[in-house]
Amino acid sequence: MRVTLPAPSKPSRTLRAGAAALALTLAVHGAAASDSFAVRGAVVVVAPGQVVENGVVWIENGKVRAVGPDVEVPEGTPVVEHDGYVTPGLVAFGSSDGLEGETFDSTRSMLPAASIADAVNLSHRGFDALCRAGITTVVLSPSVDALAGGSTAVVKTAGNRMLTRDAHFALSFDSAALDRERFPTSYGAAVDELDRLVESGEGRFAAVAGGDLPVLMAVSARHEALRAARWARRHGLRGAVMGGDLTGELADELAAAGLAAVVAPMAPGQPARSLDAMMALNAANVPLALMAGTPAHHPDDLRLTAAMCLREGLARNAAWRMLTAGAARIAGVGGSVGTLAEGRDADLVLWSGDPLELSSTVEAVYVDGVSALGGER
Amino acid sequence: MILAATILALAAPAATQPAGGRTQEPQNDWTVWAAKVHTAAGDTLDGALVQVTGGAIASVTPMAEPPEDVALRAAVLTPGMIDASIRLTAGSRSVEQSSEQVARLSIVDALDPLDEAWAGQARRGVTAGVVCPPDFAVIGGLGAVMRTAGPVDRRLVAEEVCLRGAIGTQPSLGNNMGFGVPGNFYVRRPTTRMGVEWVWRKSLYEAAYSRDDPERAFEGSDVLNRALSGELPVSIQAWTTQDIRTAVFLKEEMAREGFGELDLILDAAAEAWREPDLLVRVGASVVLPPFTPTGRTADGALFPLECPRELHDLGIPIALSAHGDGSPTESLALQAGLAMRGGLPFDAALEAVTIAPARMYGVDDRLGSIEVGKDADLVLWNGTPFEPTSRVVGVLVHGELIVDPRESAADSRDP
Repeated sequence: MRVTLPAPSKPSRTLRAGAAALALTLAVHGAAASDSFAVRGAVVVVAPGQVVENGVVWIENGKVRAVGPDVEVPEGTPVVEHDGYVTPGLVAFGSSDGLEGETFDSTRSMLPAASIADAVNLSHRGFDALCRAGITTVVLSPSVDALAGGSTAVVKTAGNRMLTRDAHFALSFDSAALDRERFPTSYGAAVDELDRLVESGEGRFAAVAGGDLPVLMAVSARHEALRAARWARRHGLRGAVMGGDLTGELADELAAAGLAAVVAPMAPGQPARSLDAMMALNAANVPLALMAGTPAHHPDDLRLTAAMCLREGLARNAAWRMLTAGAARIAGVGGSVGTLAEGRDADLVLWSGDPLELSSTVEAVYVDGVSALGGER
Repeated sequence: MILAATILALAAPAATQPAGGRTQEPQNDWTVWAAKVHTAAGDTLDGALVQVTGGAIASVTPMAEPPEDVALRAAVLTPGMIDASIRLTAGSRSVEQSSEQVARLSIVDALDPLDEAWAGQARRGVTAGVVCPPDFAVIGGLGAVMRTAGPVDRRLVAEEVCLRGAIGTQPSLGNNMGFGVPGNFYVRRPTTRMGVEWVWRKSLYEAAYSRDDPERAFEGSDVLNRALSGELPVSIQAWTTQDIRTAVFLKEEMAREGFGELDLILDAAAEAWREPDLLVRVGASVVLPPFTPTGRTADGALFPLECPRELHDLGIPIALSAHGDGSPTESLALQAGLAMRGGLPFDAALEAVTIAPARMYGVDDRLGSIEVGKDADLVLWNGTPFEPTSRVVGVLVHGELIVDPRESAADSRDP
């Protein structure tokens, strides 16, 4: 990776040492310069199924101004030369990264008006690990201990930016919501109470029932996913279930309910059945995203999962969709992130090679056009 | 600005994937012939052909020899067994414990139909079960009849088949607060048998009062009133003599007060043999628990093998249960066999695991016997049912072949 001023040239790795020195220079002199630069990559993955060889991404004011093989950038625009892959930043559903203080309320199972955004410290260093793995956008959700935990938030993993503080309405069909010493203690009462609230359209439930606010339903056991899918279908709600290693075994139920699935990534040592379940989701055309977030999941497991699915026969663009545009769509921010299309946030990851090959490494990450890791700009 | 004109689609062509994975419509048309057919509807046929169409029994034709093209055959055919208290739930999460009385909550939303234990029951010839909220609340809600196999969305045979509750120690177990202030969510619940019984009486009285005064209605009062009117059977767990007496007296008290006549089913009533006159007097039905090695059950009740016979001889409707236990030494068929060792005649034992529980819980129009029009829940045996040497070699649930007798044909023997 190197920066040339002004004209692009063939990618090369020979000037790395020099590039570092040049980067320092840029840091000093580039501060007041125009907020415009370009990245030329040997391979640019614009969107799932849209791959450009020797492509250029022109970035202006934190957004993608143009992308393609023949983008002409104005004279004097710095160009970062990269001889590997350039992709959109990955999008994942997180657990508790960046959250501070108590995230569940042990006395109340219903906190429908709460917003997890209020608990986020955007400069929390917990986001760094995600960023280093190429994950630039993450959905934070309330604790699964709450039957109705309130709103999820979508944040960038660098740059202190929150995309939305109202992405989904978080519900928990997970047994964790029942195991506190408070109402409800049973699946039956939980469903009954949620039925009542959706039907009465109380408070935030009106937006849910009206379809304005998608639900994000936490599950772990398969029967919990089944219960959530049935419940959402009964009320005609849109949204996703999140969690569970074997949720994919209910792919048909999710498809019938028109729900998306957010599932745990594959980790080393996980049984083949989990992978089969994930493939079943793809086969049933259930929109799919993965969870990241410490300590439950290693951020690199996103790529591992996509690679394993690829080996099982998943189409490459489907694998990419799961990591980027598809996940962004489930997160409700598909218009901002997940692809490098014109006008989208300039969230870029520069990889040493094909990101779906696990030997490839992250060499630089840009979030909203600003270097978050390793970049020259 | 020039946007890419040539965008390469490097993506591999869409990989061949399994076709949607949609659940295939099960085949549920069959012909079944057996050398002996116990219908549990009063007949035993020496050779009969049962035609199954669309999941239901289309015809039952006496036939000494099997037709050549018959699909399934066995030595003996019985209706699918029904466990009258199957207890396959998600444990304490299948009953709401934030209140002692949660009559309105149905068990249906709190089950795990994907639990492998259901399939295990089906393989042992149990094709349906009565499932109720576990007895951690005093009045735990509404029970249901579920099939043990088949597509998940077609397992439910009937919901709201009974109001479920318990008398005795279970709802009060572990509720003692010890010393000082309550430090636990559950300690407000009754801590004694008397406290448990008080919740029953209070709930039923208040429900009855609310009939004339809508202001007094409360969550579940409508369900309690359906129970008081006799429309909804009341299944009460009562293992021991004193608990059985309490349940019977509760029913009599409600009648005396003019509130109505409870349709009482005593579940797990191991000591029912000790107060048979009371049961005859109030016309209660009895579901018996699984036999134990020691003859003692939960709550220290004494449960001899002769109990089913004694109740049967008095004309008390009885059903047997294995409580959904999946081990071969605890199966429902074995419970029937043990009851027979205690003197219960075969036909009565068969009824106690088929038509009797179906009647108690109001599903005998669909389940419990081999009769035209009923669901094709059938069990094929390689020998005399309930004999420990006999095996279940074939099972149909709602016409779907769950255990294929053709795969166990080598094991079958002539009756």
